[in-house]
Amino acid sequence: MTATATPRVPVSRDPRVSPLSRLTASPVLRLVVKRLLMAIPIMLGVTVLTFWVLSLIPGNAAQQLLGPEATPEDIALLEQQLGLDKPGVVRYFDWLQGAVTGDLGNSLVSRQPVSEILSARLPVTAELVFLAFVVSLVLAVPVALLAAHKPGGVMDRISMMISTLGLSVANYVLALLLVLVFAVSLGWLPAIGYTPLEDGLWANLRGMILPSAAIGFPLFCYYTRFLRGDLVDQMQQEEYVTTARAKGVGSWAVLIKHAFRNSSFGLITIVGLNLGALIGGTVIIEQIFALPGIGQMLLQAINTRDFVVVQAAVVIFALVAVVANLVVDLLYAVLDPRIRYGSR
Amino acid sequence: MSSKRTAAFPAEDATVSEGVIVPETAGRHRPATAASPGEPLLVVEDLRVQFTRGGRKINAVNGLSYELAPGSMLAIIGESGSGKSVSSRALMGLLPPTAKISGSVRFDGRDLLGLSEREMQSLRGGDIAMVFQDPARSLNPTMKIGAQITEAVRLHSDLDKKGAQARAVELLKLVRLPAAERRFHEYPHQLSGGMRQRVMIAIALAGEPRLLIADEATTALDVTTQAQIMELLVELQQRLGMAVIMISHDLGLAASYAQDVVVMYAGRAVEYAPTKVLFANVRMPYTHALLGAIPALDREPHSLFEVTPGQPPDLSALPKGCPFRPRCSNATDQCLEMPPFTEHDPEHWFACWHPVGSGTGKHTANGEQR
Repeated sequence: MTATATPRVPVSRDPRVSPLSRLTASPVLRLVVKRLLMAIPIMLGVTVLTFWVLSLIPGNAAQQLLGPEATPEDIALLEQQLGLDKPGVVRYFDWLQGAVTGDLGNSLVSRQPVSEILSARLPVTAELVFLAFVVSLVLAVPVALLAAHKPGGVMDRISMMISTLGLSVANYVLALLLVLVFAVSLGWLPAIGYTPLEDGLWANLRGMILPSAAIGFPLFCYYTRFLRGDLVDQMQQEEYVTTARAKGVGSWAVLIKHAFRNSSFGLITIVGLNLGALIGGTVIIEQIFALPGIGQMLLQAINTRDFVVVQAAVVIFALVAVVANLVVDLLYAVLDPRIRYGSR
Repeated sequence: MSSKRTAAFPAEDATVSEGVIVPETAGRHRPATAASPGEPLLVVEDLRVQFTRGGRKINAVNGLSYELAPGSMLAIIGESGSGKSVSSRALMGLLPPTAKISGSVRFDGRDLLGLSEREMQSLRGGDIAMVFQDPARSLNPTMKIGAQITEAVRLHSDLDKKGAQARAVELLKLVRLPAAERRFHEYPHQLSGGMRQRVMIAIALAGEPRLLIADEATTALDVTTQAQIMELLVELQQRLGMAVIMISHDLGLAASYAQDVVVMYAGRAVEYAPTKVLFANVRMPYTHALLGAIPALDREPHSLFEVTPGQPPDLSALPKGCPFRPRCSNATDQCLEMPPFTEHDPEHWFACWHPVGSGTGKHTANGEQR
């Protein structure tokens, strides 16, 4: 503030705005930057934990590579080549040094650069997660609306039955059932394997239907039940619903135009929180359906004690969780006019 | 707002002739008072509402009767749980389907309780509109107020989107919302309580109602705002020729504005009379007790309020006879029999065996305890 000759006019400045927000003009940008900065300690914590847990498991990559017949001399030699003879702390910081400069290192087992492995496997998992996510959500909304329109009605009972079933069956059991019915008995869809997108969309999708259904169906059940419950609460307890009805708005329009909008905040929270479970579910499902994704890679890497690859997978999962939560918070602001970031 | 279209409602500065302005657009051309003179707009007879909750039957309304003349204001007074809100929601068909409703409600000659949901829907917000207690919860928090009014306008007129929006702004001006054009694009949380209640009234007026039910419409507001909203309601009632049912627990408010008063207790009407008649000569001990609980300036400082002992009865287990009997100082064994709700004095209905001033009980007309 430079002194001026003009009469002192109080600077019209919102006292609630902190100096930081004056630097970054947009409050949304500020939120994004803040969250991404917060991701740093999260990543450090997650990788340290993973590293530590892996070191507790007996055996290391050298032993796994050479097999049970190997002599201690051979193992010691390979350990030296792989750098496994160094203390754990040193190895962690070696890895960290590479990771922050963008070098995720090479797989201890295949000697392939981790970045190459990831670029091959990430699209598979991403497609699986995306399909499961979109299908579960897109189906859950209309089913929940149908159920909530008449609580206790036929649609409500049917959806309740289906969703209770879906919630009580583990996704790997469901996966095996799906394979049994649609691949073995009916022969409509392949039981295992992955066809790249380059070989045709339908060929690719055919292989993805069963795995994404196995992951998506329990989620669909969960979303349906949650949204149905929240909608019924809104319809029965909220005064704005009564106002809408008193205006002469029809029951469907009250449900869709008024209640659903207000229920969507809860749904978004649930969806965001579940994204972790969704990605975690890929580990088993990719194994069952032999899909070459991140989950399968993670499992193999744990078996071979390939800590470099495990770390990469863990970093990716944690990053997705952080970004998902950020997106959820940004969506609140878009949907709920009462939330405006930056005004506190 | 300089639309060429004739304003459906006059703007603030329009001259008001004979206290009544007839809406000119929106497809409906009708005089402010549709029913012929002397014929009531609304007749409620022996209205009963019963809920079943956890196997227990809750008798929320137990035989309520009253009449409402076109363009007049009726106050329904009672404490929480007296059935005043439930009875008016029953008229609007706003109760959950589990509610058992009986009796008869005739609005402009039509029996409302016999209407289908579709017919009821066109009536709601059209001929009968409602304003609720808590303006903070009664507006949809995720919709701009303009959209919420426009929605109501479009449901009850043939106006296109643009016309309905223009009309919504007119309505906001009619309810004296400052800076109506700007507020149109704001959300409920950006408005004060009084402004929100004005928006609620604007929504209620969108269908040019002949009956407006104000359910504790000023209870959640501070006293100054309360008076402003009441003045607005009375002014609109006169300008638009609407009948108003004012539901309140505030006897003083009723005395200041309403032409007729119904006092409810435990789901029953216990006293019903024109305001002047009622306050000149309160007969029902319950009404008398309510009056005794109102603070007044001429009261002796530090004097105790008259407190009615006991609590309102459990609606699932009403006492035998008069529901007020357990709390009434005039009660005798005769009160174990339900007193009929009859017109004891001209225009003055009440249900009591030993009314105030009859000399049979402790309460006398001037409130002294013998």
